[in-house]
Amino acid sequence: MNAVSILSTLEFGVVFGMLALSMYSALSTGLLSMASIMFAGCGAFLFAQLTDGLGWPPVLVLLCAAAIGGVAAIVLSALLLHLESHYIAMATIAIVLMTRVAVLNLPAVTGGVNGTPILTELSPLYIAGALLVAVWVFARLRRSRYGLASELAREDTTVASTLGVNIRWLRTVSFIISGCVGGLVGALLASLYGYIDADTFSMDLAFTALAAVVLGGAFHWLGPLIGGVVFTILPELLRGWFERADQLVDGVILVVIMIFLPRGLVDPLRWKQLVRRLRGRGEPGDGMPAGPAAAEPAQRTATEAIGS
Amino acid sequence: MELLFQQLLNGLSLGSVYAIFAIGFGLIFANMGILNVAQGSYATWGVIPTYLLSRAGVPLWIALPAGLAGAALIGLLAEWLAFKPLRDRNAGMLGSIIIAVGIWIILLALGEIVLGPNPSAMPSGAFPSVPLDVLGLKIPPIFLLNWVALAVVAVGLTLFLSRTRFGASIRSVGFKADSAAIVGVDTRVVLSVTAMIAAAIAGLSGILYSFTANNVSFTVGEGLMLKGFAAVVIGGFGNVKGAVVAGVAIGVIEALTQQYLSSTFRDAITFGLMLLFLVVRPQGIFGELKASRA
Repeated sequence: MNAVSILSTLEFGVVFGMLALSMYSALSTGLLSMASIMFAGCGAFLFAQLTDGLGWPPVLVLLCAAAIGGVAAIVLSALLLHLESHYIAMATIAIVLMTRVAVLNLPAVTGGVNGTPILTELSPLYIAGALLVAVWVFARLRRSRYGLASELAREDTTVASTLGVNIRWLRTVSFIISGCVGGLVGALLASLYGYIDADTFSMDLAFTALAAVVLGGAFHWLGPLIGGVVFTILPELLRGWFERADQLVDGVILVVIMIFLPRGLVDPLRWKQLVRRLRGRGEPGDGMPAGPAAAEPAQRTATEAIGS
Repeated sequence: MELLFQQLLNGLSLGSVYAIFAIGFGLIFANMGILNVAQGSYATWGVIPTYLLSRAGVPLWIALPAGLAGAALIGLLAEWLAFKPLRDRNAGMLGSIIIAVGIWIILLALGEIVLGPNPSAMPSGAFPSVPLDVLGLKIPPIFLLNWVALAVVAVGLTLFLSRTRFGASIRSVGFKADSAAIVGVDTRVVLSVTAMIAAAIAGLSGILYSFTANNVSFTVGEGLMLKGFAAVVIGGFGNVKGAVVAGVAIGVIEALTQQYLSSTFRDAITFGLMLLFLVVRPQGIFGELKASRA
């Protein structure tokens, strides 16, 4: 691998990671949403119109892409968030498939069947900048009242609403964040791909992003980013094995992780337990080294925590 | 006028296939608590054995059951290898959706490996294709098969669930698995059989669809899953009557849109209708049969 292809792989890894981050934002309040793909589609085609069509400066366009993703998220949340969480999941899958139909039927904006070539190529600095902003936002949110409320809402919506958390509002906010990140990712993806059409924003992309979130873990913003990088490198390594190998691996990893490591790779709770256990062993005079660990409540699985 | 009636017939035929799929989709949701997004790929995996056998010259009365058995086997494997281990961990519904997405990805990729990327069609001799002429309307024999199949599946499943002992076990496990186990229902067997029935129904709809639309490809199930989901949303989850009415209605609406508006609008209208129902009446026309299930 030469330096150019390493840089390009890294760029894709970061952008896929941010797409997974968009899905994570919804998942962190207990919503499984594939709508990130639709937000990305909005951002991407807006990017094409504004940079190549009107020649706007990239920073402004990226902001607009994030904004249009956010607006799309507001519309969707008004339509969908009153539903039970499993209906929302299925409805967002339908929305990904409708995105394809919409792209094909709006040739004035999207180029229809022919797609849209992207002439502007952003420098990697923009991707790095977007990543820094996203990480800063998510790190701040995690320590905020919002972060606390969303963790609670995901563990148990009834408890959360009893304690005065407005679940509907919380989920709307998480959806809008998901939309803004998604729109931004769409613009970055457009510049990376150099060509976008109806098949760019397909179920395959949703599958990859979901696999990245599940592998990395949906309990810390670092998880989706790591998952995104892994799922960019993995297809590169598998290339040439046999056809569709990367897809198969996506699916197998999803199933295996959900059964054997349901909280994903990056799991703050497990770290805390590990640290506590190590400390418990390190203390002299402690007769029961396994004591603190045994006193720990049974570890909740991701799916339990995500909410049934 | 004749064109209108012909399109109505086409719609009724395609709609029956959607309805069959929706029945299977609703069955697994109502009785196993799984929103099985992999159901579409079960349909594809029902088509694959039938297609391969028909191409090898095997008559349909062997190839069709082989397809159903293939789909049922896939459903059983998915239940044993993925859904059951997850259930043993007491996972919630979102966990099972994620697992189902994993199965969907795997089956889709395997389907493309077996069938190749390009669509083909069932061999021409596999099923009689000379249309019957009734009052100037053309009715291909496959239309009759679709209608008969829908009637058999809808009536058969309703009777099976409501009149037989095993049907009662299925409903009791769907209502509350722990209580069912206490009164002596072997939940493992019941869940495995339910998964197989639902998968075989999906396989049947896939096979009928590929004959009706004259299309065999690894993406056959994708379209069916969306139409099926739309039908289930519009008709109400776990409700056989709702699935039948909504599925047939979607088929008719599609056929008429294609004829009088444009074929590109076809999917948009189905999905628009589904979104409308999700927003305005998420329990569907006939409501979710939760209270009366057990």
